[in-house]
Amino acid sequence: MNGSKASKKRKAVTRDVEEEAGVFSGDELNTDNLDGALSDNANDLSSDEDESDSEVELIDDFSDEDDEEEEDVLDSDEIPSDGEDLAKKKSNTAPGELGAAMDDGESSSEGEQLNYRIEKDANGNDRFVYDEINPDDNSEYSDIEENANTIGDIPLSFYDQYPHIGYDINGKKILRPAKGEALDALLDSIEIPKGWTGLTDPSTGKPLELSQEELELLRKVQMNEIPEDGYNPYEPTVEWFTSQQEIMPLSAAPEPKRRFVPSKHEAKRVMKIVKAIREGRILPFKPPTEEDEEDDTIIKYDLWADEAERKDHPMHIPAPKLPPPGYEESYHPPPEYLPSQKERKAWEEADPEDRASEFLPNDFGSLRRVPGYENFVKEKFERCLDLYLAPRVRRSKLNIDPESLLPKLPSPEELKPFPTACATVFRGHKGRVRTLAVDPSGLLLATGGDDGTVRVWELLTGRQLWSVKLSEEDPVNVVRWRPGKDALILAAAAGDDIFLAVPPIVDPAIEKASLDILDAGWGYAASVPPPTPAEANKKNNPPKWMRPSSSLADLGVCAVIPLRYVAKSLSWHRRGDYFVTVCPGSSTPASVAIAIHTLSKHLTQYPFRRRIKGGGPPQAAHFHPSKPILFVANQRSIRAYDLSRQLLVKILQPGARWISSFDIHPTSSTASGGDNLIVGSYDRRLLWHDLELSQRPYKTLRYHRKAIRAVKFHPGGRYPLFADASDDGSLQIFHGSVTGDMLSNATIVPLKVLKGHKITGELGVLDVDWHPREPWCVSAGADGTCRLWM
Amino acid sequence: MNDGSDFDATATSSAAQRQVRVQLTSKQEDIALPDNAGPILVPTSLRRYALSTLVNNLLGNDKPIPFEFLINGTFLRTSIDEYLTANGISAETTLEIEYVRALIPPLHIASFQHDDWVSSTDVLSATSPAATWASATISQGQEKILSGSYDGLLRVWNMSSQIVATSPAAADGGHTASIKAAKFVTPNQIASAGLDRTVRLWKYSESDEGFSGTIAPQLELYGHKSGINSLAVHAPSNRILSASSDNSVGFWSTKKSDAPAAPEDLLPSAASRSSKRRKLNSSVTVPQRGPLALLSSHTAPVSAAIFDEKDSTVGYSASWDHSLRTWDLVTSTLVDTRTTSHSLLSLEHLPELSLLAAGTSARHITLIDPRASATTISAMTLRGHTNAVVSLARDPHSTYGLISGSHDGTCRIWDIRATKTDKDGVVGESVYSISRKSLEEQGKSDTKRVGGEGVKVFSVCWDKTVGIVSAGEDKRIQINRGEGVLSA
Repeated sequence: MNGSKASKKRKAVTRDVEEEAGVFSGDELNTDNLDGALSDNANDLSSDEDESDSEVELIDDFSDEDDEEEEDVLDSDEIPSDGEDLAKKKSNTAPGELGAAMDDGESSSEGEQLNYRIEKDANGNDRFVYDEINPDDNSEYSDIEENANTIGDIPLSFYDQYPHIGYDINGKKILRPAKGEALDALLDSIEIPKGWTGLTDPSTGKPLELSQEELELLRKVQMNEIPEDGYNPYEPTVEWFTSQQEIMPLSAAPEPKRRFVPSKHEAKRVMKIVKAIREGRILPFKPPTEEDEEDDTIIKYDLWADEAERKDHPMHIPAPKLPPPGYEESYHPPPEYLPSQKERKAWEEADPEDRASEFLPNDFGSLRRVPGYENFVKEKFERCLDLYLAPRVRRSKLNIDPESLLPKLPSPEELKPFPTACATVFRGHKGRVRTLAVDPSGLLLATGGDDGTVRVWELLTGRQLWSVKLSEEDPVNVVRWRPGKDALILAAAAGDDIFLAVPPIVDPAIEKASLDILDAGWGYAASVPPPTPAEANKKNNPPKWMRPSSSLADLGVCAVIPLRYVAKSLSWHRRGDYFVTVCPGSSTPASVAIAIHTLSKHLTQYPFRRRIKGGGPPQAAHFHPSKPILFVANQRSIRAYDLSRQLLVKILQPGARWISSFDIHPTSSTASGGDNLIVGSYDRRLLWHDLELSQRPYKTLRYHRKAIRAVKFHPGGRYPLFADASDDGSLQIFHGSVTGDMLSNATIVPLKVLKGHKITGELGVLDVDWHPREPWCVSAGADGTCRLWM
Repeated sequence: MNDGSDFDATATSSAAQRQVRVQLTSKQEDIALPDNAGPILVPTSLRRYALSTLVNNLLGNDKPIPFEFLINGTFLRTSIDEYLTANGISAETTLEIEYVRALIPPLHIASFQHDDWVSSTDVLSATSPAATWASATISQGQEKILSGSYDGLLRVWNMSSQIVATSPAAADGGHTASIKAAKFVTPNQIASAGLDRTVRLWKYSESDEGFSGTIAPQLELYGHKSGINSLAVHAPSNRILSASSDNSVGFWSTKKSDAPAAPEDLLPSAASRSSKRRKLNSSVTVPQRGPLALLSSHTAPVSAAIFDEKDSTVGYSASWDHSLRTWDLVTSTLVDTRTTSHSLLSLEHLPELSLLAAGTSARHITLIDPRASATTISAMTLRGHTNAVVSLARDPHSTYGLISGSHDGTCRIWDIRATKTDKDGVVGESVYSISRKSLEEQGKSDTKRVGGEGVKVFSVCWDKTVGIVSAGEDKRIQINRGEGVLSA
């Protein structure tokens, strides 16, 4: 039983085998050695109480060292087992033999192992009652101190003949640490039963043990040997056939004569042919005779009889090749290509034109069974017809680089500066901002919107400096600063009235100058005799300038011109004494649609008595920057009138269906170059007119998706820029440089699309203006904001 | 040092790696390596971070200090290898690498809420110019922050975000329009100017241990015909420079006795209409004086005018007409004009480098050498802002540092040594960007405002004691401070 237990512990993984331990034959185990080994190896073993009764006698021989000193224990077969902890060990054994027996099972837990009692439970079985674990009594670390060697300062060789190497503080021998030989000796001492696998047979639940034959088989497999007994791989060869000449061959027949004598029969046949050739009966080559096939019934036409030989010409195009035949055209196609009965039927029923293929794959088995192809002639004819009817023409491909077709435009990078990013957002207007203008000094921005207010802002920071509500319900349609830095006068059209204001945010001197300019006219207007009643009754008598209401006057408004119709366009003359307003409403009488106002005289005149021909009501009007010419645009044309001579100078036909706005190039006619004009239209076109060139536009730019609302050149001509504002919520900045000489045309380069305004109610950007000096532009959006771009 | 040998060992283990001898030096005593630290061999693949770790190891710092590395006066922004390749330096030479403390991002300290946009700000502290000129001592915690607002009021704040004093309203002799510039002249005097075309001097007096004070009008200076955009003061010579939108630079005296009489036509009583609106003005009578000189050769609004830091008889002005002009203030003559390609909106002098930094409307800062010997107009361009740069201030700690406030709603700190060469010449990049706290508080710190809407920075001031003070459209003064920001 000792052996069996020991062996079982050695393979402690098979816990379920414990009750079967007896089946092992433990005979060959050296129990003495084994127990010594077990005490240190079986740290992980659980004690198996059932069989511990027989192990009492082992204890004497059992070295009782602590598990920290496992090495010492390995020598237990040669070293007396009276270790330093003998006393302790004795005490361990004291509680009882059974308990002591357990100790060898798990020396690491000997403290608790010894602290149980075996009692009988209700069924009469053994029951283990454990004591309370005292966590403090494992004071093994203090033992280490006790084990300190007291050998002193002597050479260790003094102990060479002893199994120990000195004594501890208690006078106990300190054993030599285990050596390699000791381990080997231990391992040698442990015998494992043959055929032990450590596995459990899943079918029987018993430990799986291999028989001798099985082990032998495994060994042979491992050794790469022939697993079966009795098989000899090296049997002697039996030569059934051999190249050796046998003395006594199997067949004694002599070699036949025909193997070495030339055949007479063959010679005879050859001679016959030779003779025939000699006699001329067989000709080596017989040219085909046409007479053979001569048949009068068949009339043949040589299509190519009179065809001149075609020269090898680079323009000659060979006929396109037919695709090579595929599997389905084979006489013996693979079965997957053969049509099924259903497919065949469907093919036969279909019209010849509807058929997917001209023929059905057919399996003839062998080539000689292939019949003549009935469609051959038809097919060839159709092929020829195809080639004839579809003449092959070599197309001369235009080998032109598309890039080279584009005009040579400078890249936008070279044309800097131009506005690229939004620098300031001006918020404050409720509803759309319809119009805006930057003052001549470039510091202020005036805006007007649907809320009836005119506001003046600090341009750079977006701070609102001044605001006046001109109208309760009518939107402010246009605001424009008077040109010139000597005064600061803002003209605004709201509803039926034109307001002239001096924002009280300038210094007293300029304010005074501005007020003087505006006030000068009152006296002049008063000196003019009032119109006769007859004139006053006329429908188009000019309006009389009025002083504003006191509330407006306090805010800086100085004069009101009651125009009676809604003005949508206002443009100052360069000198700042005149401005022209246009009332494009369809209900406006033609004679009062365009009005020229003189600031110094407080005088309003209607220069046109009749509607401008062709194209509906007038839309916008601007003075020429240097000549006394007034440009008036109606829906489809722009006319230039010489104001001094009262003549129509020029008619421009931009080709747009409805002109929204136009602007005149600021350097027009000052240099030697001619006048240039940009026109924006509601039909999404931006048109550049060179007046010297033609009355038709020089360039048409269609870059916007929606109507163009406003176009503006950069004033002053310092930067060759112009911008347009569109209902698609974007502005576009263009470079448009005009050269001085008449021969070269203007260069127009699209530079930048400025996006940012939100589209509100189908409207995007409603107005655009430029800073007078800088390449900055401002835009008024239907979203209630204005933006400064720089 | 043993570390050197360590690096030798690690370097030789990867023999394929190139190595270079570097001599690490520092001008700051406290972080300098011991004298016996000879050149050490380092792999050329090292970057700033690895070098910083190396120096920290060499110094044996418990808490690593982030360092920046300067080779030939330029910050190392690539690996050493790339630097050597880019500059054509042989790896066999010994590289002299100077290291300085890296800039630590400035932290937000406080924000002072105003009623209206804050257009300008200045600091009175022990290290501010006003205090140093007057050699006044301002104890720690007694620093004052001056703000000029679009509502026309000056406010003096103490550091615990309380208003110590507010200037009188328009009716009581205050500004009649928005203030655009405000500066401490001395600890007891404030100069301010704004859209009402006047430069005003105020007597600032504190009582109650600095918890309350008064700002009383002292002098009104008339002469400009349009709004004043910025002010510069020089207390030792009692002079003020103002930049106005009427294309002129005003040169004023802070002393009533020095100043000539005010031009009659510019006084508020001159305009017939405006006298009605400003009739309340008569409640306080303040002496009115005129300019010592109006320097007018600019052709567009002047955005900034400053004194030369070394020589107060020299002034510089920047204008929307793209030019930077140097003035001899004694004779009021124009000395030099440098024309750039963009509108200049702000100006700051870097005296040690003989450079003028000018913020432009084209979203960058141009460094201009004003000396007659300078051949190129723009020595360097600092790029990074996304809107006009309207305010500039020197770093009080470093001669190379600069801060800029822009309409894009950020302040950016620049070190002009952090450069790279671009197709446009030498281009600098900002070291740090300070965004507005108000945006973060709204939880929109990452959203980009188009045109800096609502968060435009109008003014920035960098004081050694108080930190970075910036004012803007968000109606706040924001104070940021970095622990040991940018050294040397």
